[in-house]
Amino acid sequence: MKILVCISCVPDTTSKIAIDPSTSQISSQGLTYIVGPYDDYALSRAIELKESNGAEVIVLHVGGSESEALIRKCLALGADSAVRIDGNPISSTQIADAIVDYVKQNPVDLILMGKESIDYNSGIVHGLVAGALGYVHFNPVMHLDLAGNDLQLEVEIDGGKMEVSCALPAVLGCQEPIAEWKIPSMRGIMTARTKEISVLPLNPTDSVKLVKASIAETARRNKMIDAADAETLIDLLKTETNVL
Amino acid sequence: MKNVAIIAQTKEGQLNEATNQLLSFVSKFNPEKIILVVLGENHLSSVGCSVPVDVISLSDGLWADTSAVSSLANAVKGYTVFGIKSIQIDNILSLLASCLKAEVVSGVQHLGYSAGVFSIGKSIFSGKAMLEISSSTASIFSLNRNFDFSDVSELPAKAVNSTSVLTYSSESKSAITALKPITGTIPLPDAALVVSAGRGLKDPSNWTIVEDLANALGAATACSKPVSDLNWRPHHEHVGQTGVKVSPNLYIACGISGAIQHLAGVNGSRIIVVINNDPEAPFFKHADYGIVGDVNDILPRLTKKLQSH
Ligand SMILES: Cc1cc2nc3c(=O)[nH]c(=O)nc-3n(C[C@H](O)[C@H](O)[C@H](O)COP(=O)(O)OP(=O)(O)OC[C@H]3O[C@@H](n4cnc5c(N)ncnc54)[C@H](O)[C@@H]3O)c2cc1C
Repeated sequence: MKILVCISCVPDTTSKIAIDPSTSQISSQGLTYIVGPYDDYALSRAIELKESNGAEVIVLHVGGSESEALIRKCLALGADSAVRIDGNPISSTQIADAIVDYVKQNPVDLILMGKESIDYNSGIVHGLVAGALGYVHFNPVMHLDLAGNDLQLEVEIDGGKMEVSCALPAVLGCQEPIAEWKIPSMRGIMTARTKEISVLPLNPTDSVKLVKASIAETARRNKMIDAADAETLIDLLKTETNVL
Repeated sequence: MKNVAIIAQTKEGQLNEATNQLLSFVSKFNPEKIILVVLGENHLSSVGCSVPVDVISLSDGLWADTSAVSSLANAVKGYTVFGIKSIQIDNILSLLASCLKAEVVSGVQHLGYSAGVFSIGKSIFSGKAMLEISSSTASIFSLNRNFDFSDVSELPAKAVNSTSVLTYSSESKSAITALKPITGTIPLPDAALVVSAGRGLKDPSNWTIVEDLANALGAATACSKPVSDLNWRPHHEHVGQTGVKVSPNLYIACGISGAIQHLAGVNGSRIIVVINNDPEAPFFKHADYGIVGDVNDILPRLTKKLQSH
């Protein structure tokens, strides 16, 4: 049983996003990177499945060598090995194609990843990968149980939830409360040092061009209403804003 | 853009407002043919559009793997495909893209097309920034719920050209074992008005004051992440960077501090009201209207004022 967990490495959720004027793209200056929070849920569940059902967990990341420390952290959490597909992908298609190429050479039973990366918010890589491999696809998965070849899932749908049963192989986009985020143990950190991170090349496949990025800021009115006159809020919402 | 397919969203068997706007929007590009793909049952006989549309209905089913989606892929081969972001539509668009080996862009905030090139504004970092992309090859677009439809006007209705049904069939053994729709409340992602509350409410039993205000407004309820983590409120109400992203006309935040991760889910709101007893709460910097006060005092008073009208 092989579980592949695909991770994004993204600016910390408290990051202040700025533009690098020389490239007109998002500046990476001063940003701290983390493993995508949703991917972290996926990895945590994979490690739980490894402990309960027995499985080999492989972490895959498409990106540059600056991500190795974060990949090493995934190994410290309990992943067995890692693959980094080296390059600077600029689209969901490029990332998905890289994952698909890898899986075609190195078959796995279950592919988990976050429902979306919190930088580009596309939320489609899992669907693209599932489609290209012909695997079953569910997203966003909130509970995942595995017995032999059979998966029992709870999946969010528009306007509710559904429980589904399906069979491996599958690609799942994950979200809370599928598992709790984990912290690496001292022993985990030690053993991670000797685990393998193999590096493969990225072959960009599409022709999207990033022209420029800009910061989107919404100007707010910042009007304070005295608590004693709180009711006037309702009048202001009607007269000044038209929202009521 | 000769041929366009739209994955429609419906409400009680009719197109919802966003889908109608999307039809008017694509009409600007003078397509020769439009296919409207409708999920589930519908009674569409006419729609507002520049050319008569062909309706393809997808029968009930999971539509969650390539074998199921391939029949739809055949029907829209060579088409430029649009949908408005929802869980199901994004899932279908990504499977379609891989069936058709088409490039897909998700999170589109504005879109232009001229001389075979798309200029795409994609919102990134939960709306904190915008990325301008140009592509002559992308052909599938998932538009944000608050996509900029500002300069489109509704078109007169035309009778539907043809209707057909694609029956769900799949080689996979996936099956739904239980459906748990959320009933009795307004769905959060579509809500025009939202009343949201945080840890400042202190206890789940205090949510009656939040619900009363929401009911008086006809608003949906939402919450911060710690509140759903504590199981005070269901997970589908959790708003923020790791939860639902909302862009209502009005977002009222009660007893929420305004952490950057929370703001990431709400900064698309048109008007933000913040009620917090700490004048230093960071949320006030991002508010249109702020009230420094205790939620237990302020919320019932607002409800009463609304009810007295
Ligand atoms: C990776 C990551 C992702 C995250 N994602 C999200 C996310 O998606 N969404 C999210 O919300 N958070 C998220 N968080 C958590 C976030 O950082 C904050 O911890 C959280 O938003 C705080 O919730 P809160 O405002 O309800 O609680 P608190 O920060 O505890 O704030 C409570 C507020 O209530 C006020 N208050 C107390 N009593 C009263 C009263 N009687 N009347 C009026 N006001 C009162 C207080 O002044 C305070 O401002 C994330 C964190 C991390 C690390």
